[in-house]
Amino acid sequence: MNRRNFLSLGLGLGAAAIMLPSTLSAVNFRETKKSAFEGSKSHTINDAMTELFGTSKTVEKNVKLKAPDIAENGAVVPLQVSSKLAGKTVAIFQDANPESLVAVFTVPANGIIDYKLRIKMAKTGTVTAVVQDGDTLFSSTKMVKVTAGGCGG
Amino acid sequence: MAKKSRIKAKEKKGITTVKAMAKHDMLSYDEAKRKKVEANFITSIIAKVDDTIVYEVSTSQFLSKDPFVQFKFKGENKGKMLTFTWVDLKGNTQTDKKKIK
Repeated sequence: MNRRNFLSLGLGLGAAAIMLPSTLSAVNFRETKKSAFEGSKSHTINDAMTELFGTSKTVEKNVKLKAPDIAENGAVVPLQVSSKLAGKTVAIFQDANPESLVAVFTVPANGIIDYKLRIKMAKTGTVTAVVQDGDTLFSSTKMVKVTAGGCGG
Repeated sequence: MAKKSRIKAKEKKGITTVKAMAKHDMLSYDEAKRKKVEANFITSIIAKVDDTIVYEVSTSQFLSKDPFVQFKFKGENKGKMLTFTWVDLKGNTQTDKKKIK
């Protein structure tokens, strides 16, 4: 589709523009793992996880995900992901929006896995937080009911 | 010029907690289409103390408008400057500094 191509071209240009020299050591997942964020493999959580980590198999422990049971306002759903693991990468997925990958954190050497963020959910869905520690993916999921859609709906 | 981020950074017993709110419309592709403007949303946020990265996230269109984030990291950082930078889809970037209390 032409529009899709145009958009991805625009994204490519934008991505090229953000190669700041000071972030040479940083990992920008949107560029290196673009297929996890957009495109045919980004829609379902399993596909996006495989694109990002190489597998969608996870162990459901060692990760705490706090999210509201009911989100009155789907435009602002507060999440908290925490884990005592010495994980290097933390990713958040959800299945309520067209593309399932929401954010990928790179945990620096002195970092602590305890992040809060606010996301949008178009409808009721499940949020999955994944922590990559060595070769294993640890995860936690939480279903969030959304009463008012979050994508401007 | 992009609007400033609001930052609060406090250290307690060797752990620094930072709460930051970036000011950004965060228009997803769907929302932008409906408003007939170009989609634009923050794609990456990096925070540093001196030259060390203490927080780094690549984000999608699904963070809330004026995204609020909180993160923690270890170290004796009281009195140091935290820089908080975000970059969006169009390549705009905004950096703000705050002293860690």
